[in-house]
Amino acid sequence: MEPQGAEGPKHHWVRRALIGRDPARTLVRIFVWIILILVIRSYMLLPIRVEGVSMLPNYKENGIHFVNCLAYVFHPPQRGDVVAIRYSGRSVMLCKRIVGLPGEIISFRDGHVEINGAPLDEPYLKRPCNWDHSAELIGPDEYYVVGDNRSMDFDQHTKGRAERVRIVGKVVL
Amino acid sequence: MKTWLVRLVLVGALGSIGFWAWGFLFPSPERVIRKELDALARIASIAPNEAPLTKLAKTQKLVSFFAGDAQVTVDVPGRVTQTFNGREDLQQAALGARALLNNLQVQLLDVLVTVGADKQYAVANLTATATLPGEKIPEVQELKMIFKKADRDWLITSVETVKTLR
Repeated sequence: MEPQGAEGPKHHWVRRALIGRDPARTLVRIFVWIILILVIRSYMLLPIRVEGVSMLPNYKENGIHFVNCLAYVFHPPQRGDVVAIRYSGRSVMLCKRIVGLPGEIISFRDGHVEINGAPLDEPYLKRPCNWDHSAELIGPDEYYVVGDNRSMDFDQHTKGRAERVRIVGKVVL
Repeated sequence: MKTWLVRLVLVGALGSIGFWAWGFLFPSPERVIRKELDALARIASIAPNEAPLTKLAKTQKLVSFFAGDAQVTVDVPGRVTQTFNGREDLQQAALGARALLNNLQVQLLDVLVTVGADKQYAVANLTATATLPGEKIPEVQELKMIFKKADRDWLITSVETVKTLR
């Protein structure tokens, strides 16, 4: 049997580090933290894992990012924003870049996006593209989204007009 | 412990058991449809090296989820639109798919069920994922399913693909 004086202070220190001076308060703190993390994770910063090659090279496969679900509370989505677009829910989402805004006419000519007939400057594009696609009118509550990897075949790349309600938030971090 | 506290705990426990039992014995249409969709995803999945008899049995079970006059419309970008009418048509298509594929994992996610006011029909919006052998990334497709009530069961009368991006 160990003498009480030798083990006592050490045990006391470990106990204080783990559960604090007041265990009831620590329990409340843990509870508050759990609630806070759950609220942030569900309604504010949604973690996502990128699968697929459509956003290469800016968003690599299996990269972990976060979606800021509050990004568009005070202002509408902006051109150039990378956004998460939901299907029927948030379990699986599309990660795309907004290139066309509501009411605009979008087309692809020689691999360049044209908005209302004028070429769009896209400094984030790193890969060559040869897409050609006729002009398309974007609806009043729609945004045209496309991935950054436009070296893929036009038909193999998922892109198009997304309704505003489907945009969950802006991809950050 | 004080008597009133013991009584309160007992009443709470009994209430919880009663609530659970009520839900178990008389499940809501939404719950029944969700359970059906879980079963549908399990049966639609193909295990590696499935025996021919298992394939046939699973196909027949799969078709039993659909109404006799069910219509399935598949309209995905880059492919010809296909429509399957009735159980026979669906069974042929399912058997063909099972003959071609050796392994397939199907999941039905984010199911949103809206039950009609008369509780005789329901609409389910969901995201279906199908992982093919050798593929890292699953095929994802949003679907809209319409169910109608037939006795105690809910049968699928219509399935159509939803265009997430237009």
